[in-house]
Amino acid sequence: MRGYFLSRVAQTALVVFLALTAVFFLVRLSGDPVLLFLPMDIQAKDLNEFRQRLGFNDPLLVQYGRFVGGALHGDFGESLRYKRDALGLVLERLPATFTLGGVALALTFLLAVPAGIVSAARRGSIWDYLGMTGTVLGQAIPGFWLGLMLIYLFSVRLGWLPTGGTGGPAHFVMPCIVLASFYAARVTRLTRSSVLETLNEEYILAARAKGLAELVVLGKHTLKNSAIPIVTLAGLETGQLLGGAVITETIFAWPGVGRLTVQALLNRDFPVVLAAVFTISLTYTLLNLLVDLLYAWLDPRTRRESAA
Amino acid sequence: MTARRLRRHGLGVVGLFFTSLAVVVALAAPWLAPHDPVATDFAAGLKPPGTPGHPLGTDQLGRDLLSRVLYGARVALFIGFCTVLVTAVAGGLLGLLAGFFGGWPGAALMRIADVQLSFPFILLALTINAIVGLGLRNIIISLSAAGWVVYARVVRGEVLSVKQRDYVQAAAALGVGRARTLFGHVLPNVAPSIIVVASLQFSQFIVAEAAISFLGFGVQPPTPAWGSMLSESRDFLYVAWWLAAFPGAALALTALGINLVGDWLRDVLDPKLRI
Repeated sequence: MRGYFLSRVAQTALVVFLALTAVFFLVRLSGDPVLLFLPMDIQAKDLNEFRQRLGFNDPLLVQYGRFVGGALHGDFGESLRYKRDALGLVLERLPATFTLGGVALALTFLLAVPAGIVSAARRGSIWDYLGMTGTVLGQAIPGFWLGLMLIYLFSVRLGWLPTGGTGGPAHFVMPCIVLASFYAARVTRLTRSSVLETLNEEYILAARAKGLAELVVLGKHTLKNSAIPIVTLAGLETGQLLGGAVITETIFAWPGVGRLTVQALLNRDFPVVLAAVFTISLTYTLLNLLVDLLYAWLDPRTRRESAA
Repeated sequence: MTARRLRRHGLGVVGLFFTSLAVVVALAAPWLAPHDPVATDFAAGLKPPGTPGHPLGTDQLGRDLLSRVLYGARVALFIGFCTVLVTAVAGGLLGLLAGFFGGWPGAALMRIADVQLSFPFILLALTINAIVGLGLRNIIISLSAAGWVVYARVVRGEVLSVKQRDYVQAAAALGVGRARTLFGHVLPNVAPSIIVVASLQFSQFIVAEAAISFLGFGVQPPTPAWGSMLSESRDFLYVAWWLAAFPGAALALTALGINLVGDWLRDVLDPKLRI
């Protein structure tokens, strides 16, 4: 278990490092951010001086070496726009993203897992039919359009909810619905198919033959055994929430990492882009690592497979 | 069991209907659209749906919304189709080679896939797009660069298992060349998975393109793309709901149709596949 853990940590570090390297070279090869931040009528001498100061005149490999050296100390340079430490800027926004993601994730699982279980247990019933129709629609409706329509209905027409920003609990309602909508459908479908699969197992037949109450069969024997795929998906989806956050935060002017990343990309504020890539890929891989460990704990068989 | 199969079948037919509708609209947009989608008419700006001559109303520049929505199908399906083609061929081929020959190139390829997968798809495509630049061609490049991994992974996995089957071993024993074994025996057996992944990815690409254009990258105005139309509609949400409602509904119905066809294909061709 310890060897497995260590190799996974090393893998995580490698993945984050490679992601940063790829983005660094793509960014440097794509154009000159300096031109965007200086007035049009600037003298060539001043331009060169500015470049010199920011180190854009050095060979690419020297710049890369400096970048890696800095990144190892958590230093991604200064934001070209805000004139502040880029990583600090990103980390400052992280709690807002995590809060929104956490609430949305809780909402997703509170709704989707019971819906999936009911659909499977009452297969073919009206509930199953409604649930499955809901997931088909949920998967097709793009989150950003749902967001716009919610704003129109609840803010413009009814005036019940604020259009965006942070503040009280009312500010959470629409962003959470939109963010949860990205995943609730998939979690419901997977829960349903996982529970259905487990219900076909012989030990469920045995439990029923023993005359156990249906609720015990479902609650004790089925759910525990259906949990693994659901936990796996939970981990993957938690990471994908970061992707959904980009869109959700932009629509609702939520001051999180996603919105900051979009703005940094629009402004070609590359230190912030790199710091955001670092933070997001690290968070994402750490979440997956956490899920793998949880997985190994839930199902000891996977431990041996991965060790072999 | 029969009831379930019929219902699935029914949904597949619904999906086929919406997908065909989108394809027909995309192909016939120049004949179906009542107006030029980019022709402005400032005197007739922000007219509500039902205005004579403009069944879905007009936008802030007086452009006919119906025409723009119809042409939007063209842009969306073109981008989706090109991206699926590029990713299926490139990702499929790489997965095929990685699975069949293995060795360090295969391992290296899978590491690259791991790196890509350590980043949410939409954010990856968005970052690549911001770097390579805007426009129709670049959004296809960005989505392809972000999306090929899924094929490579699925195909490699399939090839690894197909490789062990008796008929592949028999072909090798009979002295059939490696290239012929790969394309004559292995490829036909992994083709269903490629088709299923492609159909499921198709709507994902269309929605991702719209999302990226919505965020201000990707396809730029005045090209009538659903995503950039929705982006522009945000400024007029208080006065013109139709600008947000119709392009989004068209996008949702197209995605719905293609998803249902994808589910159907998966149930028929490859019921075990879970993506």
